[in-house]
Amino acid sequence: MSTDCQKTTAKAIPSTRRVTINDAAHMPHDYSTTPGGTLFSTTPGGTRIIYDRKFLLGCRSSPVAKTPPKGLPKIPGVTSPPSKDTIEKAHNGELLNNSITAPDSSNTGDDSQFEMDI
Amino acid sequence: MNQLERPKDEEDQEETDCHHDNSDGTNNNNNNNRRKTVCPGAGEHPLQYNYTFWYSRRTPSRPASSQSYEQNIRQIGSVASVEQFWRFYSHLVRPGDLSGHSDFHLFKEGIKPMWEDESNRSGGKWIIRLRKGLASRFWENIILAMLGEQFMVGEEICGAVVSIRFQEDILSIWNRTSNDQTTTSRIRDTLRRVLNLPTNSIMEYKTHTDSLRDNSSFRNTKISL
Repeated sequence: MSTDCQKTTAKAIPSTRRVTINDAAHMPHDYSTTPGGTLFSTTPGGTRIIYDRKFLLGCRSSPVAKTPPKGLPKIPGVTSPPSKDTIEKAHNGELLNNSITAPDSSNTGDDSQFEMDI
Repeated sequence: MNQLERPKDEEDQEETDCHHDNSDGTNNNNNNNRRKTVCPGAGEHPLQYNYTFWYSRRTPSRPASSQSYEQNIRQIGSVASVEQFWRFYSHLVRPGDLSGHSDFHLFKEGIKPMWEDESNRSGGKWIIRLRKGLASRFWENIILAMLGEQFMVGEEICGAVVSIRFQEDILSIWNRTSNDQTTTSRIRDTLRRVLNLPTNSIMEYKTHTDSLRDNSSFRNTKISL
């Protein structure tokens, strides 16, 4: 047995991060997400709010995301006036994919993305 | 074009100061220390940064100049949450359906999508040329990656642009420091991943200084394989 072991001050890697929620409205809608977004571990310079594509697409179907925005300028051919038609228009077919709401579904959106010749 | 005249109160969107507190105590003092014009609504998912949508259009016959560019570009609105983003995005025509020589820009609030903006002076952009028919899908993917902080380059990202042109469309992503190779490499690698680019696809980088010098956005770029 070696007699010259060095003593190190080892610290456990922090495994939890406390986020204080004061308002029930800030609680995430999905069981698998954390409040404030999917947060990676603390990085130098502080934490970041990170969302993956699947999560962002999932937010699209919430009623809060569909109301017309305040102050949308009218630019013909660029902005569409708020109407049922805009919601029914399929944006690259993604809107159709969003009708599948189960978060565990592995077939929403991502599998339809494949390498394309550009 | 009359449609590009800005209404007087366009910048007064949501005038009140945003005093919202991120629950982890951080202060999102990221947007060039500028007062934020929008905040996430209650129950909405905040973005790491606020972003502003811009639109620009140019009649090809008119020669481009810095002055005319600034007059031809206008703000559409700013967003502070995922839901606000979708509200605007859902009410904008898809880039593939834009006519003429048009661009959509999505830039961090406080940064103008112009080479001369303070945040862009030392910067540059990656560009990806797309054949017709791909712009809408690629634009959506690049902005979702940007909003979702997938690039992991600190404060470096300034914004993204989709440019609709005659025979091809071009996607650009602008960053602050063109000579920071770690950053520009990481952006390039993230682009390959989030856009599912074929491994042999060409990516080009151009500093804004070079663009100013030859008064062109997409010519004389540095090719990266």
